[in-house]
Amino acid sequence: MGVADAINLKFTRYDTPFFYKTMTTTKYLFFICLFMVCGICHAQNSVQNNDAYKKRVLETAEIDLLSSYYSQDGNNAAVTGGRGTEELTDITGTLVISIPINDDDVLTVDTGISAYTSASSSNINPFDKGFADPFIAASGASRDDTWYNLTGIYSHSSDDRNSIWSAKLSYSTEYDYSSLGFGGSYTRLFNEKNTELGLSANVFLDKWKIIYPYELRPFAPGGRGLNDFLFLENTITGNPDYNPSFNVLTDENRNSYSLGIGLSQILSKNIQGGLLADFVLQQGLLSTPFQRVYFSDVADSFIDNFHLADDIERLPDSRFKIALGGRLNFFLNEYLVVRTYYRYYFDDWGINSNTLSIELPVKIADKFTLYPSYRFYNQKAADYFAPYNEHLSTSLFYTSDYDLSDYNANQFGFGINYTNIILRQNKLKLGLKSVDLKYSYYERTNGLSAGIVTAGFKFVVN
Amino acid sequence: MIKKIILLACIPIALSNCVMVKGYEKVNINDPDMELSEKLCDRNITVFHSYREAAAGANGGKTGGGCGCN
Repeated sequence: MGVADAINLKFTRYDTPFFYKTMTTTKYLFFICLFMVCGICHAQNSVQNNDAYKKRVLETAEIDLLSSYYSQDGNNAAVTGGRGTEELTDITGTLVISIPINDDDVLTVDTGISAYTSASSSNINPFDKGFADPFIAASGASRDDTWYNLTGIYSHSSDDRNSIWSAKLSYSTEYDYSSLGFGGSYTRLFNEKNTELGLSANVFLDKWKIIYPYELRPFAPGGRGLNDFLFLENTITGNPDYNPSFNVLTDENRNSYSLGIGLSQILSKNIQGGLLADFVLQQGLLSTPFQRVYFSDVADSFIDNFHLADDIERLPDSRFKIALGGRLNFFLNEYLVVRTYYRYYFDDWGINSNTLSIELPVKIADKFTLYPSYRFYNQKAADYFAPYNEHLSTSLFYTSDYDLSDYNANQFGFGINYTNIILRQNKLKLGLKSVDLKYSYYERTNGLSAGIVTAGFKFVVN
Repeated sequence: MIKKIILLACIPIALSNCVMVKGYEKVNINDPDMELSEKLCDRNITVFHSYREAAAGANGGKTGGGCGCN
């Protein structure tokens, strides 16, 4: 029986029991259709509701465990006036916990410990044991120190995820330095999230516990000068009438105020770039109190091989710094990404510098990526810098810190990343999401070389 | 020279206002290696740069303060 026959049958047999049966079937079909229409409408509504549904900014809590081992060596220690060992090692451990408070808000707690051993710092007092020499580490308490940091960041994203604000509070301390920091940022996304504009402001209120080079302390007010036990117990060679014109520092505070602006833009399906600018004003004690300076117009005095300080580093109490940077990243293909960065920096101490870096993430397998990288840095010296024993006592400001000298630096790095998208739970309900390992070798043209190994582990709390 | 480099960097960004990449076209842009910020695991490297170099900032890291550096 064809369709037409069926219709005819339906309309010709309306007065038969079959008619009622057909009508009943039609009713069922009607209700089924009605139900389906309602269902579709409901589904449509659901789709519309999905538009309103907010994806959580952070689905689950995440834990980042970072650690690094840093080692450096050189022969231009600032503590000994630009000549002496710069041997230093540092071990750092950092724990970053990000906790979703609700759909929109995330609290991040960042805590770190850094323990270092420094040969140059040990020479704040080179006379504590054995033969005093700027190239030999002393064994005093200043040889090592530990830095502690705690930072809390609270961020809130708008319902449409086009604006994000955050507030930050931090505190860090080590033996001779403490810092209280606070700040905030606001980020706005435009053009279907193709453009991002960010503003940030931070204030750091730092405080020194002032420590002077050991041989200068007897010449501070109330000191015994050459009658101090140090000079009675040791013989001064060279100029025996050691008499530095040492004035103690009056300011123990260092305040930093920074304003940052960032603009990033998606340039195509495979390229995005960004511009960053930071403006920083620092005020207060900007020199390091235990760094020595030697004058060429003052007769030299020694104990053993150690040149007794003529003065400590003196630097202006204000510094204005501007850093302008740009990043450009290219997704070349599914195996290779090119990450580039350039920064120009200048300040009112006469320093200007260029930083250029390139990193080439190579995806060698689904879970593994290699990270070869190269970074070039150069800087022009601060107006107040001169090498060991070349300053004049008539100058107002002076430093022999080679971190403020003319130099170029090259850094070569190689890293590997393992990312596991399908997480395995363990008893602690932690899933290891990724592991990063990296080694970087850094060398400056003024002789300092350094190596740093970093490791990062990201866990997701299930 | 520096001004030219900055100017050159600005040009593609200014021109890009004409380009609108849709959300579903951002598969490559959303690759973790395409992030413009510095990776978290590189943070300690940036910290040692801030100690050993006079320049800091404009890289998403610290600009000074909080340690005896810079």
